[in-house]
Amino acid sequence: TLTLTSLIILTLPIITTLLQNNKTNCFLYITKTAVTYAFAISLIPTLLFIQSNQEAYISNWHWMTIHTLKLSMSFKLDFFSLTFMPIALFITWSIMEFSLWYMHSDPHINRFFKYLLLFLITMLILVSANNLLQLFMGWEGVGIMSFLLISWWHGRTDANTAALQAMLYNRIGDMGFIMMMAWFTIHLNSWEFQQIFLTNPKNTTLPLLGLLLASAGKSAQFGLHPWLPSAMEGPTPVSALLHSSTMVMAGVFTLIRFYPLMENNLTIQTSTLCLGAITTLFTAICALTQNDIKKIIALSTSSQLGLMMVTIGINQPHLAFIHMCTHAFFKAMLFLSSGSIIHNLNNEQDIRKMGGLYKTMPITSTAIIIGSLALTGMPFLTGFYSKDPIIETANMSYINTWALLITLIAMSMTASYSTRIIFFALLGQPRYPSLTQINENNPYLINPIKRLILGSIFMGFLISMNTIPHTTPQMTMPPHLKFMALAVTLLGFTVATELNNMTHNLMFKQPSRMHTFSTMLGYYPTITHRILPYLSLTMSQNLATTIMDSIWLEKMIPKNLTTMQKTAASLVSNQKGLMKPYFLSFLLSITLGLLIAL
Amino acid sequence: MPYIYINIILAFVISLIGTLIYRSHLISSLLCLEGMILSLFTLNALLSLNINFTLSTIVPLILLVFAACEAAVGLALLIIISNTYGLDYVQNLNLLQC
Repeated sequence: TLTLTSLIILTLPIITTLLQNNKTNCFLYITKTAVTYAFAISLIPTLLFIQSNQEAYISNWHWMTIHTLKLSMSFKLDFFSLTFMPIALFITWSIMEFSLWYMHSDPHINRFFKYLLLFLITMLILVSANNLLQLFMGWEGVGIMSFLLISWWHGRTDANTAALQAMLYNRIGDMGFIMMMAWFTIHLNSWEFQQIFLTNPKNTTLPLLGLLLASAGKSAQFGLHPWLPSAMEGPTPVSALLHSSTMVMAGVFTLIRFYPLMENNLTIQTSTLCLGAITTLFTAICALTQNDIKKIIALSTSSQLGLMMVTIGINQPHLAFIHMCTHAFFKAMLFLSSGSIIHNLNNEQDIRKMGGLYKTMPITSTAIIIGSLALTGMPFLTGFYSKDPIIETANMSYINTWALLITLIAMSMTASYSTRIIFFALLGQPRYPSLTQINENNPYLINPIKRLILGSIFMGFLISMNTIPHTTPQMTMPPHLKFMALAVTLLGFTVATELNNMTHNLMFKQPSRMHTFSTMLGYYPTITHRILPYLSLTMSQNLATTIMDSIWLEKMIPKNLTTMQKTAASLVSNQKGLMKPYFLSFLLSITLGLLIAL
Repeated sequence: MPYIYINIILAFVISLIGTLIYRSHLISSLLCLEGMILSLFTLNALLSLNINFTLSTIVPLILLVFAACEAAVGLALLIIISNTYGLDYVQNLNLLQC
């Protein structure tokens, strides 16, 4: 029964795509209800798993055998995939309902829904894959759908460059993935997870490095991160689905999948830890002074992903997974409410031009406040059940102190930029033009947000109560460490509130160095996106034009010869240019010579 | 010596005098230079045919090649002078500019 139900889950959305009735209006509603039923059905295996803690592997279709490598289509239904699938389906259901309101005036809305559905299917393939080939198919699938969806408004240059950026950074990560697959084929002769974990090889540094690179590319870690803020060029439902809850989780999810191998390899753990710590601090710094509401939320996603990497780095993959699930809820909700604000203010995305929405858009402002509180780890909301254990475990483990410190600093910055969003968007006097059309009464807008609010509040509790802990959490610790997360967050809140209130009516004469560092995203995109084309273009210019044309053909022999001769002639000669007397004297001397000889 | 050789050598000498004595135009000197080359070419061809020394029949051809290059160089010089001064009068060549 488990097998049948999970296969039905995957095929229900697929059937909808195959019907392809793009012209009719009810395609949208069919898609949405298909996803709803898929969500409901996917709860059945999850509940069965919670009750029995029995994992399942379905391996049905043997595709081909290349020499000794057997490739088949197999699904792995363990704790990770069974918990993540209903969450992904729930969020996709909410987002599809939301995009019925948001993309209402778009003529190609059927195509949009088709793309969202394709994305969902590839994400589910990725999550439930039991061998690396299937995971790679899902991996590439989400990459392609991300490209198509970011460049949804493809008439806009920025959208196209952002989609290209996403594709290229993902590709760099894919190189790591392929290296990992190649290593496993060569050394272990299999791409199935069971075989990899059973044989438990001893020298796994190289493939795990490849995996780390792949996750860094997919999940926007430092070094491969600029695509995530740029990906906000896509419509808000796309940002909510792909770049907050699901696709960027793919990288972290794959790292979590490989936890048996990573347990034994301390080098990889340390590098994951440091990479995650750098990412979370760097993106939190950048998020502090951004002015576009979607970019702030995107950088916040990147920061939380860094936190998940830190958790994997301290050898707690299950905590990272729980944080991933809870993060999906409140981040999607933050994006949906920002989409509601943007549409209601007539496509205004700059928070310096919003304000005073606390009274006019009550449901959205409630959503933002609850989402921000959950994000920062307010006790007993969702984020608390995942973030607090992470910080406690990090405080009590034997890790790099510097990584721990910057994670804590990044946590306080999380509180700061969330306060900034609330302060600029919701509080104060309105700063937008006075002819407004603020209307939140559409059920397609309200219902998803309401569902996600409920999810944000309760899901943390539900998930942590219903899962069996795989590692014993730290029970005893000194009180100052126990309250560290809360203290740091409160510090961030208060500092941000004070600063915002004090400097609200002040203006920069010239922004300080730190401010421009943060607003320009740390200069990283500016440097790297220009340096590579610059280097290759100057190299080609040097080779083709300078070396060949100008030096070898023009300057080396002809021009050098002329300058040499001219300087020599002008230095040496003292002629006066009298041609005729010279010729006459020549003739005279020849004749005299002939006469004398004869 | 056979008469025909004297004839051609006389043509050569006349062209030589023409190269060295000219009034004002540089191009007349170049023209007489061409005449010198023509007479030399004919002399070479006739000589190698009359002495039946077949290995030297290539000499007139080589001479022709070099003559062509030389004529081109001469004309290029003429054109540069003409660019600066407008005419190719020899009196104009008294300014050294480098």
